[in-house]
Amino acid sequence: MKRSLAGRIWPNATAVVLAIGFVFPVYWMFNTAFKPTQDIITEDPVWFPLHGTFEHFATAVNAPNFWTLAGNSVIVTVLAVGLSLLIALCGAFAIARMRFKGRKGILLTFMVAQMAPWEVMVISIYMIVRDADMLNSLLPLTCFYMLMVLPFTLLTLRGYVAAVPKELEESAMVDGCTRRQAFTKVVFPLLAPGLMATSLFGFITAWNEFPLVLVLNKEPAMGTLPLWLSQFQSQFGDDWGATMAAASIFALPILVLFLFLQRKAVGGLTSGAVKG
Amino acid sequence: MKRGLIAATAVAGMLVSVAACGSSGGKADADGFKGQKLTVWVMDGSNPAQWTKQVSEQFKKKTGATVEFKVQQWNGIQQKLSTALSEDTPPDVVEIGNTQTAAYAKAGALADLGDLKKEIGADWNDAFNKTAVADGKQYALPWYAGNRVVMYNKKVWAEAGLKGTPKTRTELFRAFDTIKKKTDAEPLYLPGQNWYFLDGLTIGTGADLVKKQGGKWVSNLGDPKVAKAMDIYKQYQAFSTAPKNKDEATPQQSEVFAKGKTGAVIAMGYEAAEAIKANPEIKKDIGFFTIPGETAAKPEGVFLGGSNFAVAGMGKNQELAKEFLKIALSKENDGQMVRESGWTPKSPDLADAAKENPAAAAAAPAAQKSGGTTPPIPQWAAVENVPNPIKSYMTAVLGGKSPADAAKDVESEINTRLAKQ
Amino acid sequence: MAVQLDDGAERTAPGTGKGGAPPENGAPPAGRPPRLPGRRAPRLPARRTPLPSARRAPYLLLLPALLATALFLGWPMARNALLSFQNLNMKELIQHLTDWRGTGNYQEILGSEQFWRVTFRTVVFTGVNVVLIMVLGVLIGLLLARLGKKMRLALSAALVLAWAMPVIAATTVFQWLFDSRYGVLNWVLDRLGWHSMAHYDWVGTQLSTFFVITVLIVWQSLPFVALNLYAATTTIPKELYEAARMDGAGTWKVFTSVTFPFLKPFFLATTFLEVIWVFKAFPQIFAINEGGPERLTETLPIYAFTEGVGNLHFGMGAAISLLTIVVLLAMTAYYLRLTVKQEQQEENEL
Repeated sequence: MKRSLAGRIWPNATAVVLAIGFVFPVYWMFNTAFKPTQDIITEDPVWFPLHGTFEHFATAVNAPNFWTLAGNSVIVTVLAVGLSLLIALCGAFAIARMRFKGRKGILLTFMVAQMAPWEVMVISIYMIVRDADMLNSLLPLTCFYMLMVLPFTLLTLRGYVAAVPKELEESAMVDGCTRRQAFTKVVFPLLAPGLMATSLFGFITAWNEFPLVLVLNKEPAMGTLPLWLSQFQSQFGDDWGATMAAASIFALPILVLFLFLQRKAVGGLTSGAVKG
Repeated sequence: MKRGLIAATAVAGMLVSVAACGSSGGKADADGFKGQKLTVWVMDGSNPAQWTKQVSEQFKKKTGATVEFKVQQWNGIQQKLSTALSEDTPPDVVEIGNTQTAAYAKAGALADLGDLKKEIGADWNDAFNKTAVADGKQYALPWYAGNRVVMYNKKVWAEAGLKGTPKTRTELFRAFDTIKKKTDAEPLYLPGQNWYFLDGLTIGTGADLVKKQGGKWVSNLGDPKVAKAMDIYKQYQAFSTAPKNKDEATPQQSEVFAKGKTGAVIAMGYEAAEAIKANPEIKKDIGFFTIPGETAAKPEGVFLGGSNFAVAGMGKNQELAKEFLKIALSKENDGQMVRESGWTPKSPDLADAAKENPAAAAAAPAAQKSGGTTPPIPQWAAVENVPNPIKSYMTAVLGGKSPADAAKDVESEINTRLAKQ
Repeated sequence: MAVQLDDGAERTAPGTGKGGAPPENGAPPAGRPPRLPGRRAPRLPARRTPLPSARRAPYLLLLPALLATALFLGWPMARNALLSFQNLNMKELIQHLTDWRGTGNYQEILGSEQFWRVTFRTVVFTGVNVVLIMVLGVLIGLLLARLGKKMRLALSAALVLAWAMPVIAATTVFQWLFDSRYGVLNWVLDRLGWHSMAHYDWVGTQLSTFFVITVLIVWQSLPFVALNLYAATTTIPKELYEAARMDGAGTWKVFTSVTFPFLKPFFLATTFLEVIWVFKAFPQIFAINEGGPERLTETLPIYAFTEGVGNLHFGMGAAISLLTIVVLLAMTAYYLRLTVKQEQQEENEL
């Protein structure tokens, strides 16, 4: 199994090229964010922010309500993801471990639920929320975001629950645990990576949502960060520097979360996907 | 005051059924406003600081109520506005772009302001007011409007040996040529989709963008007069290497201009401030002149872009809203808008205010002699929705297609949009 | 099939009998043995006879999920379906009018050439993207498996960065990279000798616009496939590979005879997800050129949005969105049926 020199070089060379390709747009976002405006709009690209400036970040952060919106985004996202994990876990457990009438139908329902055209449903959701007099509140937003991620979460977790050997649970029960104890003490810890993996997906979805919050929460203090992010691209022209600075701030929590949870996340999603 | 209010109540009563749950006339004497709050939606960048301050103060003093300005972002404004106007407690007063006003009026979203117009707006320039009227009724009041001027870089022009400012289109093109030959600057930065500049040119050639056919509005983009306007645009654009598929906002042309390597841009007055923000050095080099027309006597046609104030038909505080408009659109405050933001004077007696702002001064002659707007029909707003087919038309012609063919490509889309609503 | 006692619902380890998917796949990471509870006073084992409560258990567990779905998805969907039979424009929205139009919206859409063209385009677009994503994703995944530790970590980190980039941020950056005058890409191409590309208008034609959109979507989607595939291959027992190599199988043969059969469920599930995600891609396409030039890059979701929300013909939009689901269902029907069949099989095996 000896590989030639070329055989050893090409994987690494390809990997380097790929890595650059994947990182470059992310790098360019940060690079642009730190450049003074004159270096952004140039015929010859400025590759490094040599004349670095925090001016664009200041513009972005000093926009009205930034901290309020950031707070709202965190609340809505965390609640939506947390709730959907909780609800999905119960459901996933039932579908993966139990046999009952209507199981296949329910499974199919969740698979199809992933196809929901949320962008267009915005108007019917709006009418429902308006008629219920719940506009300008974080509650409906949380509920609908939760549902946007619930089907994926449930289906993925179902795969994960199914992958936990049943015997573990049983031996715990033989040892005197109740079924619930067996679940919380044995199964649940094994599900942790899966929970993290699916929650990442949820975070991204809820964190990014724009069309719904635009019409539901018009009160400036009840918005979320995507609204803030969009304001730097306006009728009067795009403030690229501020847009990129805002995008950097916007992306940062997710990037950190990802890098932090990456190893567990990857394994988790796999198990979800494998269980077909 | 009392009479005005009675009239206002009567008008409110006559409104379309929408207003039924709106204005409750009873509590409407001047003191009755004390402690109330009026919500006014203004677009990002519309209300300058000093204007806002003095209007708020005067309003408070006169009515005892407070006004809250809520600044709206442009992104998705149509969804926001149309849904907001359907709510039980809509914003009381809204700023609506003048090309959009007719559509909202036709949807029954706005209150009739005919009496108010008679009371405070008798001397307004008709070009300003046209967009606020739909089906012969006054559904909004013009707040501000501006038109494009040539913003040029004095340093570049001096470098090219140019003196004075061009008075005709031929002179202007000759100046661009000189800059091209004698300097390394781009004579003009004009992207391919500056659609409101084209609209101005069509006003100049006397073209109509729509025509009535069998009782329905249809596209008239194939008209030779439109082609003529587009040809003028093409001649302008030939002096620029700006992207043919972009509008003046991507990238912001003021930021391009700020680099000092551009001879001129076709710009709104407020864009100077943005250029200065990007590069403070540029301030001393910025100059303005009226876009010259075919002859020195008549400046180029210009689109009067701006906004109207409208009162929500379902609003609960319609009387108070009208009190607000009386103050916000007073001579004093209109003058402040001209001074502070460089908008074009709405009535002749505001010309003095424009003198203090060079951009407004350059804009004024064109607005008076050759100002116009987009077709003032309710269906028009839909045509400008993204993706704007006229922008596609422009890019196609600039890319080499014949105006007739390019018009044919987008006319069915325009007609579909005009037919709906 | 009646409800079975859950305790009795013993099932084979997941995945077996389905192309040999590894049961241990994704199971607890090594080095983290499950903690067994400390021994307490032994209790009698739970009763083994079916209780009514046990019968109800699955439903109770599923209740929150079903309730939430009915309330926050089912209701808006039903409302959406009602809207699709109405003439609902700005006027009707503002004045709270209901103007039934029967099947008028559907007739108009199905009768318009535009809709069919967009549908066809969407199917082709989805197909091309999914194939690219799956093929390249698998290649990168296999490459990851072949790299040294450091290199693998570096590439993984790069992939994760791209993956985690919020869609709104990513689309903005891509617009900027492909900008015709100030974009980095044109500058590079110009320097590399393609001077005609110096100010190339990437969103000027249908094909080039789709190219940009495809690059963006593939860039965003590859990490998911690549990283997961890599993780999945680590669960394939080494012996299988060794055996294949002994038989003199080359790289391709090893893939087709070991990796692919072993990970077939993975491929199916991932393809299913990618089909849905690419088909529904919205911000990417909309941000790049709003479905232009001349609406030539509109896919079904963009078409529904532009007609419905953009042009304020909400009833029309609702009708298109429902037709969109039908198309998506047709595209995924194979997988949906397969899943149901497998579940049936599993239940029968018990």
